[in-house]
Amino acid sequence: MRLVIAFDSSTDHLAVGVARLADDDTKPQMLAAVDFPARRAALGALLPTVRELLADHELALADVAVVAAGRGPGSFTGVRIGVASAKGLAHGLGIPLTGLSTLDAAGWRFCEHTGLVGVVGDAMRGEVYPGLLRCGKGRCERLDTDRVSRPRAAAEAWAAQLTEPVMLTGNGLAKYAEMFAELLGERATIADESLWTPTGVSLIDAAWAESGPVSLRTLASLTREQGYALAGPGALLPVYTRLSDAEEAERDRARVAADNAAVPSSGVSGPLGGER
Amino acid sequence: MSASIREMRQADLDRVLQIEDASFPTPWTRFMFSDELKRVGAGRVWLVAEKDGVVIGYAGIAVFGDEAHVMNVAVDAGSRRCGVGRDLLLHLMAEAVALGAARITLEVRTGGREARRMYRNAGFIEEGLRPGYYSDTGEDAVIMWTGTLTPAMISAMRAADEGSDVVLAIESSCDETAASVMRGGIEQLSSVVASQIDFHSRFGGVVPEIASRKHTEAIVAVVDEALEQAGVGFADLTAIAVTYGPGLIGALVVGLAYAKGLSLGTGLPLVGVDHLEGHILANRLADPSLEPPFVALVVSGGHTALVHVPEWGVYHTLGQTLDDAAGEAFDKVAKLLGLGYPGGPVISRLALEGDPHAIEFPRAMMYSGTYDFSLSGLKTAVINYVHTEQQAGRDVSHPDVAAAFQAAVIDVQVSKAVRAAEEHGVRAFCLAGGVAANPALRDALQRAMESRGIKMFVPPMLLCTDNAAMIATAGHLRLRRGGFLQFDAEAHADLSLDSIGGN
Repeated sequence: MRLVIAFDSSTDHLAVGVARLADDDTKPQMLAAVDFPARRAALGALLPTVRELLADHELALADVAVVAAGRGPGSFTGVRIGVASAKGLAHGLGIPLTGLSTLDAAGWRFCEHTGLVGVVGDAMRGEVYPGLLRCGKGRCERLDTDRVSRPRAAAEAWAAQLTEPVMLTGNGLAKYAEMFAELLGERATIADESLWTPTGVSLIDAAWAESGPVSLRTLASLTREQGYALAGPGALLPVYTRLSDAEEAERDRARVAADNAAVPSSGVSGPLGGER
Repeated sequence: MSASIREMRQADLDRVLQIEDASFPTPWTRFMFSDELKRVGAGRVWLVAEKDGVVIGYAGIAVFGDEAHVMNVAVDAGSRRCGVGRDLLLHLMAEAVALGAARITLEVRTGGREARRMYRNAGFIEEGLRPGYYSDTGEDAVIMWTGTLTPAMISAMRAADEGSDVVLAIESSCDETAASVMRGGIEQLSSVVASQIDFHSRFGGVVPEIASRKHTEAIVAVVDEALEQAGVGFADLTAIAVTYGPGLIGALVVGLAYAKGLSLGTGLPLVGVDHLEGHILANRLADPSLEPPFVALVVSGGHTALVHVPEWGVYHTLGQTLDDAAGEAFDKVAKLLGLGYPGGPVISRLALEGDPHAIEFPRAMMYSGTYDFSLSGLKTAVINYVHTEQQAGRDVSHPDVAAAFQAAVIDVQVSKAVRAAEEHGVRAFCLAGGVAANPALRDALQRAMESRGIKMFVPPMLLCTDNAAMIATAGHLRLRRGGFLQFDAEAHADLSLDSIGGN
């Protein structure tokens, strides 16, 4: 039996899912899932939850063949707790590590809802991570990429761009539901608050929907050694979408144009003018 | 020659009762032992330690589901203090865990100092008191518990006792991602440090968010490099050690989360190390002749503290900085003089060319009668001096400022260090931490201590700054003491050395 274990601690909500990988490129079969609020408690709660979930379902850690970690965007420390724990676990087991977008996982909770799903992730400091998906018939497709935005700018962009109803979700709605509802008017439906964060099931779904050479779907078709060589635990990085405050301020002072200010994959800019 | 351990038999009871009667005010009776032996195989384990064919100690434990209760441990008076009790205890613990026990408890007389110490050093933590439990003397019982134990934890403790343990240590408390592999706490198989200084220096100090990001990026490669240089794989390791405080919380979290994941993935036990304990232990790594009792001065960018170490694993902080750390003061003065970051090396270089008596900076708290330090006043005095001179249109001699500032720092440190060493009557003194790399401080302390017949230990430059070799050495000691971290462990930005003594 080959298992995939997925977890995410990017928000104040902890989610863990375990599924059985099929041998024929079909979707993994869900075996166990748990999610609960764990505000500032992820470091202490994550691995005990993983162990308990496996034990409660009589699943062996030795059967885990792939780890999938939520890469954010979310709370920087929360994302790192998930990603660093996943690195340690995959490194220790000698198995590949893949990632998934936390926003995708939030959106995938609405995979049976036909239409647009707008995820508003809380980016703190008065900002949000907006993400747009098209869902229906048990599938979702991400329409944009992870980024950070002022909430009003994100809501205005969707208001200008969208001509159909949109289901709004995400933990950013705790602060900005009214703003999005007002700007999107009748097009907006605010999802029930209990549905705003990823679950173990939606993590596995979102990980399976990723494509590319280091995606879960690719790794599922490879041997452990092939997968480890392709997607070892060292390679996966969090998605931050913005630099540290010190580097952001430095760029502001140097008046780096916004379109030149892409955040490098490491999340650290290095001295201006020469990346890394 | 060490004792051998075997199962207790009825035939041992005469000798066992001799030891029992001589050891306890209310000894167990022959009937009680006999009854216990009948239960062996049904959740009871009774062992004896034998030397030259003579029983010199015995111990028993009862297992109830996932808990076990140590019933009795006794060693013949003539054979105590030789590790026989510990040997029996660790064997018992291993047997109990093999029978399904996860946590082990016991009660011990409050007056049983040696016994309490032995249990503490085997990973038992004092969790409560049962008043008047011993009816013979009316003494209270201290209730002790281990954390959740695995067979690997107990064999790791025994390997550490033998010095055959191989520990992988991980350090990420500030801006260095480091890993090291060490055998027996002393034989360094590898030590890898990935410094992030190029990403912080232009900001004049460590940017915590950048540090956390770089740790996340580097940690797997640093560990792989340490394993490769040591020529070992995870299967060759005995345990993992990780810094869990004090330090930058976001940076500590990365190392601890990774180490816990690695512990889960490999099944290796995890021990937590205090970063300052690591700095102190760098001295032991450099010179294994270091033995407590001693006093240590820990001086770095984040810490300035005088610590009394009466025995390994026990730390009493005598005093510490009330505001800036020494390294921080060097950085701030360097920044004021436009000398860049970090400030320590450049100030100490400049000071060589300056006159330490050219300017009279204050020696804060030199005669306070306490072991606490204050460095922010000195920093302000330097700032005021420089501004006054500049406003008066006079040239400021950077070498003189550096020399006079450094002399003020060193005078206070040395005077308090000497007093602490003398008051505690120690024959050894350790300098530790990044500022221990300052040649003038090293020389001044060396002179002061050696003129008083106190042996001075100073780590080599490479071991002064943050590294994981020192964490591995401290980790070895923690492993011997059963200081395991569970999977729910948290990082502690303000971890205090004094709090880790009880494990």
